[in-house]
Amino acid sequence: MGDTAQLLFDSIPSFLGVPVGDLEDLVPGQVAIAGYFCDNLDRPVAGQRYLARQLRYASRPENAPANAIDLGDVNVFPLEPDKHFPAVVSQCEAVLETGARIVLVGGDSSGLKALGIAAQKFTGADVTVIPLKGDIAGNLSKSQPVILSVDLNELAGIWMSHPSRLTGLSPAQMIAQIDATPGNVIAAVVFGLAPALDHLGTTETRAALAILQAVAERLEKGAP
Amino acid sequence: MNNPQKRSMLTGYASLPFGEISQCVAGDIGVLGVPSEVDSGPRMGASLAPDALRKMAGQLEVDLPAAGRDLGNLDPSGDWSGVLKHLVTQMVAGDIVPVVLGGASDVALAVLRALPDLPIVAAMPVVLGDVAARPENSIWVGLNGGQPADVWDQISQRSMAWRTARQLDEGHTDFSGMPERAVLWIDMSVIDLGHAAGVVGLNPAGMKPETLVSVISAMPCSWQAVVITGLAPARDTRGMSELAAIEALNAALRNG
Repeated sequence: MGDTAQLLFDSIPSFLGVPVGDLEDLVPGQVAIAGYFCDNLDRPVAGQRYLARQLRYASRPENAPANAIDLGDVNVFPLEPDKHFPAVVSQCEAVLETGARIVLVGGDSSGLKALGIAAQKFTGADVTVIPLKGDIAGNLSKSQPVILSVDLNELAGIWMSHPSRLTGLSPAQMIAQIDATPGNVIAAVVFGLAPALDHLGTTETRAALAILQAVAERLEKGAP
Repeated sequence: MNNPQKRSMLTGYASLPFGEISQCVAGDIGVLGVPSEVDSGPRMGASLAPDALRKMAGQLEVDLPAAGRDLGNLDPSGDWSGVLKHLVTQMVAGDIVPVVLGGASDVALAVLRALPDLPIVAAMPVVLGDVAARPENSIWVGLNGGQPADVWDQISQRSMAWRTARQLDEGHTDFSGMPERAVLWIDMSVIDLGHAAGVVGLNPAGMKPETLVSVISAMPCSWQAVVITGLAPARDTRGMSELAAIEALNAALRNG
């Protein structure tokens, strides 16, 4: 991308304040963060699609991960599932084929499904999905490709603008689990939150942002 | 309009069908709203609680561990406490568990007057003298330290079991002599305002919502009636207070 274009894009809110880029900008080992604007296909809750936009607006560049870019939103076709899934799978696969790692942000759990298929096609083998709830699988090898699934609906009610249950994880517990995720994390999804778009959503947005930061940093490590 | 919204308009609390006591069978619950209001003070709004609880239970698609009917709301004008006493007595006689959604604390007092011989488990920050004077001992959960001296005297004379919010947070949740059958009164003011703002009483150093739920979950008691009071939902834009009431009620019904 040229300098002029980069100057223009610098004023666009991006995830964690990282540079905005395209598929051709990706290099192996880089972390590509993309928005997923679809919340009506799997565990649908209206409003989850706005998480990516909310996190971009709330991001500050102070702690931007050094090796990540904001890839924009993946193209989605929420009203045409037969067209939607192949399209999302294809885009995720294209990112993985560059050698970069991908984080899908927002939407419902259909993003995880599509990413799982893409990762399977890319690696040619089953890819383990590691959710944050419960025990982390401890018997994975360092090179085992895994997808980290971060369902923000697992946050305890006290962190949410519109809680649906009292108990759950704190952001600190989630971040600790993200840091401790074993294996070679090639992809991640951060989803399951329909953020309040006014001041009521401040706490959950900050929590989600801190969690996204931890996810990006974990993906930067790859297979530690 | 989404499905939970539609359902909440057609059904009562937690998708229970609206109905009458005559449609309940033994072992059912009868949910009754009593939208009375606190007399005065800056933290009014208890009268909104029954419908707010129905709305949130519908939105969350709460899975109630009991069958029964939602009996609607009592008209809070006129002799509502007399009507409430009659309905509660009728339900308990038919082995139906009244689940009464207040309203102010006068709702619970009316229920207790209808069931004078049953012990009480009260989750509330203060001991009420006339409740403490009942023939059966009461258990108090989440008591605040600031009780009048005469009430402390009553408590000490009766060997009542009680735990403060701090004791419960520290894990002192065992109660010797837990009755097999009792009335459960949850005054939402037992919760610390910092955790759930939608309550009529200010209770610094009160209970955490999750502590309340876990304490009630751990009580092996067959509840003969459950009363929730002191919820002022309009004061909690996040709905944490309604959620705490709903989860506490579910915890009680799972045991009962």
